[in-house]
Amino acid sequence: MTPHSPGTDQISTLLSIGLVAAAIVVVAINLALFYAVRKNRAQRGSAPRASGGGRRVQFRVGALLTVFALAIFVVSLVFTGKARETPATGAAGLAAAKTEPLTIKATGQQWLWRYDYPNGAFSYYKLVVPVDTAVKLELLSTDVVHTWDVPDLSGKRDAVPGKTNEVVFRADQEGEYDGQSASLSGQAYAAMRTAVEVVSPQAYEDFVKQQKADIETAQDRVVGLIENGEVP
Amino acid sequence: MSEKPRPELVIDGFPGKQRPRWVELATSADHKDLGRILIGGSLGFLFIALVEMLLMRLQLAIPENTFLSPVAFNRMLSLYGGTAVFLFAIPLALGFFYYVAPLQIGARGTALPRLGQLGVALWAAGATVLYAGFLFTPSEAGVNPLAPLNELAFLSNNGVDAWATATGLATLGFVFIAIDLLTTLRNMRAPGMAWRRVPVFSWAATVSCWLLLVIGPVLLAALTMLMIDRNYDGIFFADGSGGAPLLWQHFSWIFFSGSYMLILIFAFGAIAEIVSTFAAKPLFNRGVVMGSLVAIAVLGTLAWMQNMLTAPIGIGWMYFAMLMSLALIVPFGLIVFNLIATMIGGALRMRAPLLFAIGAISSISIGLAAEIDHSMVAAAWQLKNTTDSTAATHFALVGGAVFGGFAALHFWFPKMTGRTMGENLARISFWTMAVGLLLAFVPLFLAGGEQGQVIDAYKFYDGTGVNGYNLIASIGTLILAAGIVMSLVNAILSRVHGPEAGHDPWGGGSLEWFTLSPPEPHNFDVLPDVRSAEPMRDIRDAIAHSTGSTEAPARESQPVA
Repeated sequence: MTPHSPGTDQISTLLSIGLVAAAIVVVAINLALFYAVRKNRAQRGSAPRASGGGRRVQFRVGALLTVFALAIFVVSLVFTGKARETPATGAAGLAAAKTEPLTIKATGQQWLWRYDYPNGAFSYYKLVVPVDTAVKLELLSTDVVHTWDVPDLSGKRDAVPGKTNEVVFRADQEGEYDGQSASLSGQAYAAMRTAVEVVSPQAYEDFVKQQKADIETAQDRVVGLIENGEVP
Repeated sequence: MSEKPRPELVIDGFPGKQRPRWVELATSADHKDLGRILIGGSLGFLFIALVEMLLMRLQLAIPENTFLSPVAFNRMLSLYGGTAVFLFAIPLALGFFYYVAPLQIGARGTALPRLGQLGVALWAAGATVLYAGFLFTPSEAGVNPLAPLNELAFLSNNGVDAWATATGLATLGFVFIAIDLLTTLRNMRAPGMAWRRVPVFSWAATVSCWLLLVIGPVLLAALTMLMIDRNYDGIFFADGSGGAPLLWQHFSWIFFSGSYMLILIFAFGAIAEIVSTFAAKPLFNRGVVMGSLVAIAVLGTLAWMQNMLTAPIGIGWMYFAMLMSLALIVPFGLIVFNLIATMIGGALRMRAPLLFAIGAISSISIGLAAEIDHSMVAAAWQLKNTTDSTAATHFALVGGAVFGGFAALHFWFPKMTGRTMGENLARISFWTMAVGLLLAFVPLFLAGGEQGQVIDAYKFYDGTGVNGYNLIASIGTLILAAGIVMSLVNAILSRVHGPEAGHDPWGGGSLEWFTLSPPEPHNFDVLPDVRSAEPMRDIRDAIAHSTGSTEAPARESQPVA
């Protein structure tokens, strides 16, 4: 993952800290095991030395572990708090989203993502958002649990039917970001992918306008076909 | 301690068995027979789970593979999860508890043998239902079938019903076994065996059984609701009309988190016995280890929402789950510290049980270290539902149930059969398994943590940077499976061909080594008064004292070839 949003910057830093903490645990335990086995193998005539675990050493080890756990807890709190913050739209971003983030509805359904834009346009599979703009995705589901996951832009969140979840991000660079649904949702789960295309604010405005016009044209054509009796 | 050792009586001419041996075994309510059924059966299911896992890894060896269809893959996944949790790991732990704990506390049987027998029968019925699913259709809903995918509207064939019936029967069986064992452990301990003198493994059994009494009914309730939903138009987990899909996640994760802890409690209970026996010295601090096992059961179950950090729950609940999960660092850390401190200064005999025990500690340490990252809320938003979580779970649970289970198997095999397992094959098997485990799951850490490869998917796409990782993981799984099969073969062969072990091959400290190998149906002719946590050590000391020998007790005794 390469972070391209303020939230994923924080997540990425926290992941590095977590990696270090996990590495410390693994190395410490396995080195101690290796040492203990190497130095204490039974030899002919060797007898075990009795040792009792006094309370003091247990308290010390317990206190050390508590401090370690609390440190991880506090660091995680700080970074999680930062990662949850709604970023402000930057100077290069969409003018209309300066005060409130651009809110787009993302609906998971077996096995596609549908995106509803504020002007009434919608798109499937591909989400188009303006660069440097705070975007809030409202995650919904029409059937089973789906997980929206575009690692470069945001942490993953579940879309659960009957509940609303949300994802906030601000893409810092134009381009296309790939994602994949991350909860088993039935047969075609592995094929349930999505893509986020980050474009300039002007290109975004053009896209949603064009998309809306296309949808209306298609709608009119369907209505026309039915009313003219060309389809049963 | 009395001046003279008490003679061990051996009854000759015990009435011969009239019926074939398998009929005796199948109709027996003796805890040793039930334990053997559970252990033998669950090791058989370990083999089946391995086959299922290998089929899935074969599908995932190369990108966009078409070896298994999506439906076949999902069925394999569901069967694998059900088999590994309900038919292998939990019953293996319960089987050892059932066989060993009554012997350790000096009981001549269990308190409610018929209830325990019913429990084992229910488990066997559950296993039959799960695999009878092959006759119609196995579940396609995954390891933990999340609502509402598990509802009739989305999976309309009988697969999920079979899964729910199977896991429900097995869980009910586990609860019955837990009631029997708990009653036994509370009421039938040898004279003088206060709780503080109960062997650590029997204490682990006590904690595990209490845990099962708490988490078992939660899953049973959830499964009942699911069956009502599916068959009687219920709405418990269906969206709309007042149902709540998230409710299923809460119930099921309480059970799955609790059983995760149960498997680790079993493993650490066995490892503590083995390390102290093979270091020839008592545990560094028994009290702390026993207290930590309780803390693991409580905190680990309270941390169930650690599995739901991406779900729409309040951020406060996420922080609560994180606090409970991170608090587990303290009891787990204390246990590992005490185990290593026990080894230091000991005279370690590197026999197969100790080898597997050390492997288990090492593997569990990797899995739980990764779980730390999965508990850090924002980090979990990245790591959850990637193959990184597959790897973390498997390091912890293969470490606990397979390495820990094999440690227990090698350790108590002489007690169960009178023969030791072949040492050379055990060593080859151990190192094969260790290499296989690392090759199989370290690449998945990288594929999930670095590239975000998602969990449970029947294929992955070319060009996502995970081709190499998946190929290595598939090869590693094959090596791991080969290592496991070697130990299973070793166990089968050694039942008849293993070197004869004698009654106390390892110089153990607890009372199961006081009786014959294999024990008579009534376990003990006489029982010593228990005056310490290690009654067998007292007995050996008394023998040494009365025979005038100043040498250390016969700790180095090896199995008779």
